[in-house]
Amino acid sequence: MRTISEKYKKINKTGLLFILPAVLIVVLLLIYPIFSSIYFSFTSKHLIKTRIDWVWLDNFKFVLTNPDFYVAFYNSIKWTGLSIVGQLLIGFATALALNKIPKYSGFFRILLIIPWAFPAIVIAFTWKWIFNDVYGFMPNLLTAIGMTNQNINFFADPNFVFGTVVFINIWFGSPLFMVNILSALKTIPSEQYEAAFMDGASAWQSFWSITIRHIRGVIGLLLVLRTIWIFNNFDLLYLITGGGPSNLTMTLPIFAFKVGWGMKQLGVASAITVILLLFLLGICLLFFKLLTKWERDDR
Amino acid sequence: MKTVGRNRMGIAILYIFLSIAALVAVFPLIWIILSSFKSPGEMSSHPLAFFPKNFTWVYYDRVLNNLHFFKNIKNSLLVSLATTLISIVISALAAYGIVRFFPNAGKKMTKLLITTYMFPPILLAVPYSIIIVKMGLVNTWTGLIITYLSFSIPYAIWMLTGFFQTVPLEIEEAARVDGAGKMRVFIQVVLPIVSPGIVATAIYTFINSWNEFLFALLLINSSAKMPISVALYSLNGSEILDWGEMMAASVIVILPSIVFFMLIQKKIAGGLADGSVK
Repeated sequence: MRTISEKYKKINKTGLLFILPAVLIVVLLLIYPIFSSIYFSFTSKHLIKTRIDWVWLDNFKFVLTNPDFYVAFYNSIKWTGLSIVGQLLIGFATALALNKIPKYSGFFRILLIIPWAFPAIVIAFTWKWIFNDVYGFMPNLLTAIGMTNQNINFFADPNFVFGTVVFINIWFGSPLFMVNILSALKTIPSEQYEAAFMDGASAWQSFWSITIRHIRGVIGLLLVLRTIWIFNNFDLLYLITGGGPSNLTMTLPIFAFKVGWGMKQLGVASAITVILLLFLLGICLLFFKLLTKWERDDR
Repeated sequence: MKTVGRNRMGIAILYIFLSIAALVAVFPLIWIILSSFKSPGEMSSHPLAFFPKNFTWVYYDRVLNNLHFFKNIKNSLLVSLATTLISIVISALAAYGIVRFFPNAGKKMTKLLITTYMFPPILLAVPYSIIIVKMGLVNTWTGLIITYLSFSIPYAIWMLTGFFQTVPLEIEEAARVDGAGKMRVFIQVVLPIVSPGIVATAIYTFINSWNEFLFALLLINSSAKMPISVALYSLNGSEILDWGEMMAASVIVILPSIVFFMLIQKKIAGGLADGSVK
């Protein structure tokens, strides 16, 4: 091994050429914009006005004393937490079931994967149509079978709107969990179950010590990636509710968008997104610590 | 005998559970397809009727002929394909470079790269909307493609390093002994081995670009240049006729995606499980 690595040390110049384009892209399209965002968060940057002043921490003070910010923060956590738990549960349950049934698993798999193919705008149109308070299938069905006296307006009624958007997100996101968990389940050698059975382990015991142990790496990774994705997600909620009614579904990305492009205060919007990033960094550090601990345990 | 009976019960319950789940998963698709063929009168007077009584093509006609939707689909295809192509070339080079030439530093680099995944798109939206305006690239595909590279390249590199790690060094060594240059080894020996991984990564990149909404909303405002996501957004459901158009447009967008998804579903799954987890 040593000789090989020494040989390759000499040609590190070639190695640099291989990675150079990517390094340039990352620096120009990610590092530089992030720093300019941090810079803007200390300024009075406006969407149209050209004058720009250094305002120190004024933007952060404005954001942190704004009650809407806390509403959005709380909604973001609620939206992410409920969605991710639902997606994991449904995705996991369907994957286990598909792995267990003797026939037609390919057929069910194809049907279950369909929501994943929906772009955000089509998700919004479709569900807004199904839940439309006048012509929609769902409110009319509920009224027809006598569960409600008059059609519920799922996107305007404060009692229903949050549950409805979380349901839509679970509908959309579960297939991704299902597909990845299923392919992880398929890699578990069946001898392990046979050995456990021989040793007299109960189904529950072998589920915990074999199944969960094998797939928790994939689940952990999915949880990290999807948590970040949902937390950062802008289009789904923006297209379905736009943050309304009266800020009930307003999350941090939507709040930043409204401040930045609605109120045209790009400096303040930058401050919100910087806070958002710091929060996510913290969460991810925790997650990664957990993942490395699992990896160590597996060895 | 008793355990067999219980097992059968269990399997039956699984089938019932899967049937309900599949029904919830598929219903919206079926419903928008059926709705897109119902006349405006039918949609408003019989909201629960399942099949359209008189088939109508009026919404499809309006969407394709009055709103020129094919143009927007073409725009989306162009932007997504260009993003995918550029991302794959740059990321394959980088992933190979990291795996072969910087194996130790590379591990840390890929870990750093994946942290860029947590940059909120809305965070990048502020500097992008300023920079793209300054460069005079508003309303151009170039501007849009540049911003799409920001989220596709780090993810593609991350996925691809997983695949490149599976290529045994000995195969490359053998090719080198035969006198092949580094670039030739990369193109003729390594790339064919990882081609399934490249396909999976390309699909991921393509789908993400195809679905992107925020940057397109901020950077493109001329309807002739709009990708499909933003073009759809400009429809609105204030009247029943608008809803018909929205359903027809949705069906036009979603059907090819679903066919595509069914064809490639095993590949995407493999992407996360085989490539990056290891």
